Amino acid sequence: MRSSLPDTEGYDALLGPHVSIVTGKGGVGKTTAAAALALAGVASGRRTLLMEVEGRQGFSRVFGTQPWDYAEREFRPGLWGAAIDPAESVYEYLELFYGLKRVQWMMERSNALDFVTTAAPGLRDLLLVGKLYEIAARRRPDGRRAYDLIVVDAPPTGRIVPFLQAPEAVTDIVRVGPIRRQAGQIKEMLTDPRRVQAVIVTLLEEMPVRETTEGIAALSTAGIATGPVLANQITLPRLDAAAHARLEAIGAERFRTEVSDHGARMSGRTAQLTLDLAGAHIARQRHQGALRAELAEAGATVLGLPLLAGRTFGPDELEVLADVLALQVGEDGPRAEERLDADGYAAVAGGRV
Amino acid sequence: MSQRPPARASSLAAAITDAHILVATGAGGVGKTTSAAALGLAAAQQGRRALVLTIDPARRLAQAMGLEGLADEPTRVPLPAGHLAAGGELWAMMLDMQTTFDRLIHRHAGSAEEAEAITANRIYRQLSSTLSGTQEYMAMERLHELHEQGAFDLLVIDTPPTRSALDFLDAPRRMTSFLEGRLLKLLLKPGVAAGRGIGKVVGAGATAFMRVAGRVTGMELLQDLADFFRDFEGMYDGFKQRAEEVLVLLRDPRSRFVVVTSAEPPPLREARFFLERLEQEGLHAAGVVVNRISPEVPRDPSDAGLTRAVRSLQEAAGVDPDAPNDLDQQPSDELAMSGALQLLSDVRNLAARQRRDVSAGLFGVEVPALVEVPLLDGDVHDLDGLASIAATLSTGRTR
Repeated sequence: MRSSLPDTEGYDALLGPHVSIVTGKGGVGKTTAAAALALAGVASGRRTLLMEVEGRQGFSRVFGTQPWDYAEREFRPGLWGAAIDPAESVYEYLELFYGLKRVQWMMERSNALDFVTTAAPGLRDLLLVGKLYEIAARRRPDGRRAYDLIVVDAPPTGRIVPFLQAPEAVTDIVRVGPIRRQAGQIKEMLTDPRRVQAVIVTLLEEMPVRETTEGIAALSTAGIATGPVLANQITLPRLDAAAHARLEAIGAERFRTEVSDHGARMSGRTAQLTLDLAGAHIARQRHQGALRAELAEAGATVLGLPLLAGRTFGPDELEVLADVLALQVGEDGPRAEERLDADGYAAVAGGRV
Repeated sequence: MSQRPPARASSLAAAITDAHILVATGAGGVGKTTSAAALGLAAAQQGRRALVLTIDPARRLAQAMGLEGLADEPTRVPLPAGHLAAGGELWAMMLDMQTTFDRLIHRHAGSAEEAEAITANRIYRQLSSTLSGTQEYMAMERLHELHEQGAFDLLVIDTPPTRSALDFLDAPRRMTSFLEGRLLKLLLKPGVAAGRGIGKVVGAGATAFMRVAGRVTGMELLQDLADFFRDFEGMYDGFKQRAEEVLVLLRDPRSRFVVVTSAEPPPLREARFFLERLEQEGLHAAGVVVNRISPEVPRDPSDAGLTRAVRSLQEAAGVDPDAPNDLDQQPSDELAMSGALQLLSDVRNLAARQRRDVSAGLFGVEVPALVEVPLLDGDVHDLDGLASIAATLSTGRTR
């Protein structure tokens, strides 16, 4: 596995390549992690674009903005967002290469777009990756890149390689023409570790970890560099094994009377439940630690993201997560320091302090 | 949750007892496979012959079910005698989409040569693996086949992890509308591959499209497409009829859908859309399973009491509660107890957030039964773990 991390420090270790393709098994918090990564990009001073390709409107919900569309819009200072739609890409593509303005209504009339965008996801993926390529290659009038950092909330691990290789797959079928030419350039971009990295998000649970190691292998075979693996929803430790042993020795009844004396009056049932929760808490920490070690053994550089147990989860929590990432690469992360204590941070960072 | 009084039979419990088909559906990563396996086990425990069709089980779960390295034929899951009522059997199989599709082609093709021509076509190879909805369609196809064979009381199917859970309902329709689509007709007309002489037949829009498509893709692609669809034409009626039969089967009152979700807003949104869709389509929902939810924590002590006690215990341990980042804390009973109270508070906050998200996510849509499957300490990887989920599903609290 090619990793940019161990040699570099600071934001470059996290966000060195121009494009970060964020993937992971369904349900692991890919969208949240991608948003946190983009916020870290903004904190590093990068002009950042956050790009959605699956039409879920996940970002607009979590940031509380109007729904996103094809237009790239700045919704916070230094942070742009766009939701890329394959149909729009078709029109843009045809207009770009053929100057065909009238083709849109023609295609709508002939149902051709149904075929292009829904029936054959290979073509759909090609258009999405093509659009990413177009944005990445775009320059500002002064010659600088349109964005310093592009973070893509990409399809899940199971589909990520076919997604990124859609242009190549099409060249198996299409033997001439501009698509074929462009496919070569897209492949060149995707397989250049200075330009593109895949960031895999996972939970420290059996299935997602297995998908992560499989994903790393598949991406590596495809020649696509893997950056850090983001281990999401790490339990913040409230107790370690020694403290748990003390609790066991204290027992439910004495626990109940002691904490009641300190102002937390509770029933015997709640006291017993708390001790059970403490046991489960220790077991979960152990389980997560073992899976994290498994990832490290597989060669992954793991950065942790905590499970924030607050009553709400919103943009402020995303900022905390961005800061947690920043701290782990040696940058400032004031909001993370505020929210996590030293033990909590050590657990999230996997001992890297 | 064993201390709860036994709930009256919910519609989910009823489905385990009397449904013929159960479709587990929901967003990716919410535990559909585990839920499907637990539903099958619950039915077997009641003395039914149940088959679980699964797509991609976790390795250890597969191991527990004796599924590892399995071909796509039903295999009996060895269960200890204590797990079953008389006559109960649990079977499982792994679906192989490509095999199913190839078999379908061979069944509907006019001749072996025709089938060969199709399966060798590179458009077929591309489409059969990537055509959106194909996987879902093939899963339904296999379900229908097993239904017709009639060897099982209950078929539980785990739907593929798709971009959107809704794709699966559209699959049969998309398949047929794709097959009868205008583009297809266009491609089937002689001369299309050369991109001429079709204006009269299908109108100017399509002609322009074909010309553009030809220029963009090269003519060869169109030739292959035309060949592919021409070969396919003979099978079209068979496919269409089959797709309609699948829909009829899914609409049967003994076919029920179990919507699986976690307590996070995005999968809850999909669950909600799915419930709405089921209603619109006249399909039957058996219930919603909310996986991996934090256990509900009693209301005592109050939040203020918790905060007070945590501070007081920390002070008693000689720790400044306003500077808890001090690493040199000496372990003590007080700190262990304050940690336990903080943990209780975390779990309660998370449980409250999740239940609020579940209520908000499903607001306004009819939920026949809602069963919470609590977060387990580790992954489910043996029959005991599965059996405990099965027990929750067949007796679980409903709302």
